[in-house]
Amino acid sequence: MKSIRSFLIIAILATITLVWFIAALQGYQSGVSEAERLFDDQLEQVAQLTASLGGDPVSINSPPRIAYQLWNQGRLLLKTKNAPEAAMVELQPGFDYSNFGGYRWRTFVYPHGADEDIVIVAIRADQSFAMAEKVIVEALVPIVLSLPVAAILIWLIVRQGLKQLRELAVSLRDKQPQDLSPIVLSASPAELEQVVSSVNSMLTRLEESFLREKRFASDAAHELRTPISALMVQLYNLENELPERSEEVRNLRTSADRMNHLVEQMLALYRNTPEQLATNFTEVDLYSLAQDVIAMHYNWFEEKQQQIELTGRAMLVKGNRFALETLLSNLLSNACKYTPAGGAVLVDVFMLEKDRVQLLVEDSGPGILEDEQQRIFERFYRVGGDRHASRQPGCGLGLAIIRNIVDAHEAEISVENSRFKTGTAFRVIFTATTGGVTHEPRFLS
Amino acid sequence: MNVLLVEDDLPLAAGVTQALRDKDYVVNQVGLGQHALDTIKVDPPDILILDLGLPDMDGIEVLKKLRQTNPELPVLLLTARISVEEKVQGLDAGADDYLAKPFNISELLARLRVMERRLSPGHSTLIKVGPLSFDSLSCQVTLNGESLVLSRREYMLLKILVENAGRVMTRSRLESGLYSWDEGVGSNALEVHIHNLRKKLGPDLIKTVRGVGYRLAGP
Repeated sequence: MKSIRSFLIIAILATITLVWFIAALQGYQSGVSEAERLFDDQLEQVAQLTASLGGDPVSINSPPRIAYQLWNQGRLLLKTKNAPEAAMVELQPGFDYSNFGGYRWRTFVYPHGADEDIVIVAIRADQSFAMAEKVIVEALVPIVLSLPVAAILIWLIVRQGLKQLRELAVSLRDKQPQDLSPIVLSASPAELEQVVSSVNSMLTRLEESFLREKRFASDAAHELRTPISALMVQLYNLENELPERSEEVRNLRTSADRMNHLVEQMLALYRNTPEQLATNFTEVDLYSLAQDVIAMHYNWFEEKQQQIELTGRAMLVKGNRFALETLLSNLLSNACKYTPAGGAVLVDVFMLEKDRVQLLVEDSGPGILEDEQQRIFERFYRVGGDRHASRQPGCGLGLAIIRNIVDAHEAEISVENSRFKTGTAFRVIFTATTGGVTHEPRFLS
Repeated sequence: MNVLLVEDDLPLAAGVTQALRDKDYVVNQVGLGQHALDTIKVDPPDILILDLGLPDMDGIEVLKKLRQTNPELPVLLLTARISVEEKVQGLDAGADDYLAKPFNISELLARLRVMERRLSPGHSTLIKVGPLSFDSLSCQVTLNGESLVLSRREYMLLKILVENAGRVMTRSRLESGLYSWDEGVGSNALEVHIHNLRKKLGPDLIKTVRGVGYRLAGP
């Protein structure tokens, strides 16, 4: 992933380096021409001085970097040792360059006096360049040495400048999926304000639609349950008024029961999506919850003369009590439905390892074929369809509800054969909460 | 027994009214919370059945206002929206019991019977379960007309089972009815009492639901 920070640091450092080196080059060039000008002045002064001295032999022993010739009417009158016999340069007055004695020289031809003396003074040009280079290198060294310091400073500045961006990234990353509260930055700069306000308005819209959906489901529950209650009560009255059991009323009762069941299951499916469940997690003792749920629905098993038994001991898991109750009653309802009369259902709650609690619901029904065991958690999938040997009506939502609840609790569910000769076992594995058994408030049963 | 039914859905209200009248209850019905409060002021019923989803005001509000003037009136809540919070809210506001829609009319009748029993010592305190009759006023227990002698714990245990005849009572529910928090409950104390009760009542009246609890046969 490309980082804005490293891009900025590299780009700024590269620009600074480039600008500095262009400036250094400019400096070098002007340094050279400045050196040239200095030497030219020096040459001119030496020429004038020597000319005015009239070629005093003493002065001929000049330093090796300066050469001197005095010409008159095409004859060489005087020269320094390092000067050649021939003219060092064409006898045109003014400055020029010339090569002799293995070096490059800057020359100055200076006609002088009434007797047409011509003085030529030369100075080593390479030495003047070397001097200019030395000046420029001395200027460049501190710049090059300061580059790392500049890099560190730029890094710190960029880091500080991007602090709010990083803060935004962290607060977005650490946001819980259910947390739709707006993002607040300690100080949001103008550039980020737009981003933050867009994200916040998106979160608000999301929360609103979430609440709307929740309200809708709640209203739907009310709107559906009240007429169904009326239907059931009226049916009850009708059954009491009719002297004999009528086939029509029995069919009405069956349809009403199925509709009631379907509505309850659809509401449960909606209510138990992970988003809905995420709130209201408390510590729940799975064993005592299983006791309550079995006690509540004991009549299911009694009607079919089935044996139901609970084993295990108190085990705390973190969860939504209401959802776990739905989970258990759905598992029990399935076990009861698909087990023939006189069969048995076993519920077991126990510690699997140090931090995992297993809920096992086993029945002595016909069992589920292995390739069907994979598909049963799909919505509306029913084993064997309506042709299942148990002839049980159902809507196929029960296991989808179970799946939702299991997912919301980050638990795992699997289906296998039970320990009975035939039959199905549902195994749900929860993460146990640490800490001892506590008594949660009990609600009126 | 005079019952006031506060329910705005007419088909449901008519059905419940009919079913209750068949059981010899005197039923009045109103559809608005304010009407309910006015009616109670003029002619207080023995029992109030209150739907939480009323068109003019929230049922919880009705209940809170009612409790200021009639703290003793037994109230059974009906609601289509059932969540644990609502349940707690309803009970906190002073409801005596709670029934979720869609309810079974026989469940409603059973809850009314329990309320009635709690309501008036003047009414019959005698509960009959098969061959067993249990009088909580005189603490008399008879089996097939013959008086039984029970220990205090046995009596308390049987009382819970009789009052909830037909329903499975979990072990924790029974233990909390028998012992206060600070009393240690021996791991098989409950079994011992049940065993003793069975010796006196015969083996079939109390059924064990293994791992869950016990149930007295239905009335």
